Amino acid sequence: MSTALITLSDLQFAWPGQPTLLDIPEFTLERGQSLFLKGPSGSGKTTLLGLLGGVQQAASGRVSLLGEDLGRLSSSARDRFRVDHTGYIFQQFNLLPFLSVRENVELPCRFSRLRSTRACERHGSVAAAAAALLSHLGLADEALQARRADSLSIGQQQRVAAARALIGQPELVIADEPTSALDTDAREAFLHLLFTECRAAGASLLFVSHDQSLAHLFDRSLSLAELNRAATPAEV
Amino acid sequence: MHLIRIALASLANRRFTALLTVFAIALSVCLLLAVERVRTEARASFANTISGTDLIVGARSGSVNLLLYSVFRIGNATNNIRWDSFEHFAEHRQVKWAIPISLGDSHRGYRVMGTDARYFEHYRYARSQPLKLAQGRAFGDDPFEVTLGAEVAQALGYSLGDKLVLAHGVATISLLKHDDKPFTVVGILARTGTPVDRTLHISLAGMEALHIDWQNGMPARGAGKVSAEQARAMDLQPKQITAFMLGLNSKIATFSLQREINEYRGEPLLAILPGVALQELWSLMSTAEKALFVVSLFVVLTGLIGMLTAILTSLNERRREMAILRSVGARPWHIASLLIVEAFALALAGVLLGLALLYLGIAASQGYVQANYGLYLPLALPSRYEWTLLGAILGAALLMGAVPAWRAYRQSLADGLSIRL
Repeated sequence: MSTALITLSDLQFAWPGQPTLLDIPEFTLERGQSLFLKGPSGSGKTTLLGLLGGVQQAASGRVSLLGEDLGRLSSSARDRFRVDHTGYIFQQFNLLPFLSVRENVELPCRFSRLRSTRACERHGSVAAAAAALLSHLGLADEALQARRADSLSIGQQQRVAAARALIGQPELVIADEPTSALDTDAREAFLHLLFTECRAAGASLLFVSHDQSLAHLFDRSLSLAELNRAATPAEV
Repeated sequence: MHLIRIALASLANRRFTALLTVFAIALSVCLLLAVERVRTEARASFANTISGTDLIVGARSGSVNLLLYSVFRIGNATNNIRWDSFEHFAEHRQVKWAIPISLGDSHRGYRVMGTDARYFEHYRYARSQPLKLAQGRAFGDDPFEVTLGAEVAQALGYSLGDKLVLAHGVATISLLKHDDKPFTVVGILARTGTPVDRTLHISLAGMEALHIDWQNGMPARGAGKVSAEQARAMDLQPKQITAFMLGLNSKIATFSLQREINEYRGEPLLAILPGVALQELWSLMSTAEKALFVVSLFVVLTGLIGMLTAILTSLNERRREMAILRSVGARPWHIASLLIVEAFALALAGVLLGLALLYLGIAASQGYVQANYGLYLPLALPSRYEWTLLGAILGAALLMGAVPAWRAYRQSLADGLSIRL
């Protein structure tokens, strides 16, 4: 098995009735690597994440994750593949407000048998895995873990989202502007926690943001405009 | 299981709208079941008014009219029939028993019926139940004794030994009273839930004694007056009665005897089968009853549409919830089933609350309804038909849940993982 986690080749994508948005001849992300992908809003990064998650389908070219060509899988197989191998952290409001903190963290294991099995192998039970991850991320308080997710501060919520992305050790964590709602100090602290946990889990991290100031913390840094041949010159 | 947990938690998060929806469904379910129960009971008590009687015979008029005055004490006979006609058929070889009935007087709005001991012996209501005395005895040989129906005694507060005066005619306020010949209460019948409860029973002799000195529909004056004491000594054999009921030796003879009575040469008579006439009468009323049922069905439909509206309006603001679920691995059909579960949970809660309301309502109003309308509403478990109705409501809710489910399915396919607002 190659060491590449994500491989994109000759990828082209356009929304119906619109000009080509993405045209990426080649892109790889190695296992265990952390990558900073810079992209302003409107540059197609959400679409790219959709393609990596198998929610959108490329018009041509190949998207492969762990050597599996996503284009060849049925849509339900893609859904299953995504949750088995990818954890997501979004910009804000990542959590289901009406569930408890711990229930939110456990969600991926409810939908993915693979991640549930992995969590159990390592921690004995899904609940124990959630508790362990939360305490690594500074949310060890059991009373807090039982609270409704929306009773937490934004910073705490993002750490809960990170725990959820990491539970059951997916090979890839995709973070889409997870720090934009945090202040500068909290941003770096959050990133350090995220790196530590990704490393501990052996997960690759694909971090998408427009905030160049964080780029130096990553193994690699790229701009979407450099990757994307369809990008307008102004973006480069 | 976790899908149900998520659906319920999400509903609890919107508990105000959810509760309103549940309450609307509950009220509509309660209304539907209440209408259904009253309808069933009304029909049953209607069919239970008379039993065991094979033929009712009166002067020739309409069958519904004859049934109304002879059994329900509503309306009046167009004509009387002769005593010898009654005797002729009472002694018919096919006839097992015969009950003469004489109507026309009243007491404070309640009808008076003249009859004889055969009435207490042979009259049956509901499932062949005989009349029972709650207190005292049936009227005896003295013509001025009266046996009251349960409701008469209760509503007018009579007890054994009380004296009462009957009025001529059936108007609530009658100008002509038989106040020279008061009656003594000697018995009170047990409640039957039929028009018997609203009847005062006297002997045919008593009925005859009341009118013995009447001429041309007016009481005699002065010397023509006959006192109660004098009446007792006179021959009180009636010459006319209003109707009679017949029980036959064999049901098979019913139609041939009916034809024989209808073709009787002595005077024009009409014989009806109570069951058939009851059906005929009920079919007159069943239009209103069906309308009521249809209206309550529409109320249930309104409740369910309210639920559909509440779920559909929530869909847009829940796009984030859907996207989050998608990102943690929920497939579009998971999202769709969440909404179906939600609709089902709302409807189920509504149905259960509706049942609770119904039983509370019945428990609270049972006595009142029985006393005032003669309807006994049982606190019984839902009947098979009621279960079917409830099942149909849940089925309709599931079907309606499919609409937002389908929309959410499409929406979550289109939105994917992007969180839009």
